[in-house]
Amino acid sequence: MGKKNDNKRPTDWVKVLALLAFILVFAWLAFADKDNHVELGVSDEGISPTPTQIESIRVIGEWEFLSVSNEELVDTVRKGLFGTDQLVRIYYGTVRLGFDMRQASPHWLSVSGDTVTAVLPRVGLLSKDFIDEARTRAFYESGQWTPADREALYRKAYRQMLARCVTPANLKTARDNAEAQFSQMFRAMGYTTVNIRFEP
Amino acid sequence: MKKNMMITLAAALLLCACKDAAPQPQAAPQYQSIDTVPLLIQQVQQCARLYTTEVKVHKIVTHDDVVRLRGSLLKQDFNLKLPLGDRKIAIPMDATLKAYIDFSQFGEKNVERSGDKITLVLPDPRVALTSSKIDQKHIRQYVALSRSRFTDAEMSSYEQQGRQAIIASIPELGIVDMARENAARVLVPMLTKLGYREENITIAFRKDFHKDDIHRLIEQ
Repeated sequence: MGKKNDNKRPTDWVKVLALLAFILVFAWLAFADKDNHVELGVSDEGISPTPTQIESIRVIGEWEFLSVSNEELVDTVRKGLFGTDQLVRIYYGTVRLGFDMRQASPHWLSVSGDTVTAVLPRVGLLSKDFIDEARTRAFYESGQWTPADREALYRKAYRQMLARCVTPANLKTARDNAEAQFSQMFRAMGYTTVNIRFEP
Repeated sequence: MKKNMMITLAAALLLCACKDAAPQPQAAPQYQSIDTVPLLIQQVQQCARLYTTEVKVHKIVTHDDVVRLRGSLLKQDFNLKLPLGDRKIAIPMDATLKAYIDFSQFGEKNVERSGDKITLVLPDPRVALTSSKIDQKHIRQYVALSRSRFTDAEMSSYEQQGRQAIIASIPELGIVDMARENAARVLVPMLTKLGYREENITIAFRKDFHKDDIHRLIEQ
């Protein structure tokens, strides 16, 4: 037996010592030096927007008398072979009712003594672009959806907001408010009698 | 023997798979869409605003993230970018900014008349982002094989940050100064119809604006 131990080659001792050294270094790295750590992560540094480019500037003369702010929860469901996918988004938009002074007739305003008569354009939707799509919040998503699906959801939200906001009741409220505000403005300018009418 | 059994089992599984797939028509749509009733929150507000200036702007929001191996070993920090871990997205967006004068509090205090001269003292113009549109058709994204695609929540978050960047850039666009000038262009024709000569009309504002004041005049 003793003879067998004596026959152990020197390279075996080197291997044992190397293994021991490796274990000691590993133990030291793991327990003694607390600063050692390794982590795998995603580097997310937010967005990098390009400079804001002005595409057009124009002078407008739009009077707004009623604004209807909306939050619209819109969803779409897709039933496929392997289950049901769903996309739910919350769209924000503000429908503005009033009139554009460019639509006023050339003689929309006339004065006679201390009486002023104004024939205002018809009250309607001020701008067709009323959804603030960049403010949209993602609520729920399962499955994979394409830009075309998102565009379809946008159009659905658009139709719903339009149907709910441009109602005869809201148009009447806007018209009444326009009449009150224009009367107040002309009275502030010194006219005692103010006649407000709307184009048919 | 064992090998033969494995081959037989594999063939049986393959046949089953083929049997399931066979009845599927190739041209038929594989899904149907169902839209459900939405929830709605509405806020109605009466106002009297004269919008005098409209500015349409364009911006591309880009975002990229990479997978990194970070850490510290023997007091040596390291931060390595791992290969095949990139994701990039570019989102083009358009927005409409409008500047307006709020006439809801307009009264006699805003009008100064002296003979055949008239001065309207108007409140500070304000700026609102009235609409924005994401150019869904031209969104471009590149996702490495080891990464998951951009989720709707992530894309919405980048779009919201882009919107905030547009709002933050409003002071540099000079839209408030334009709104003041354009208010005169809209109101002077109205006052001439009331009988005032153009040279006798003054449209005045409360004070000159500084850059810090403009931030206060922006609707978030």
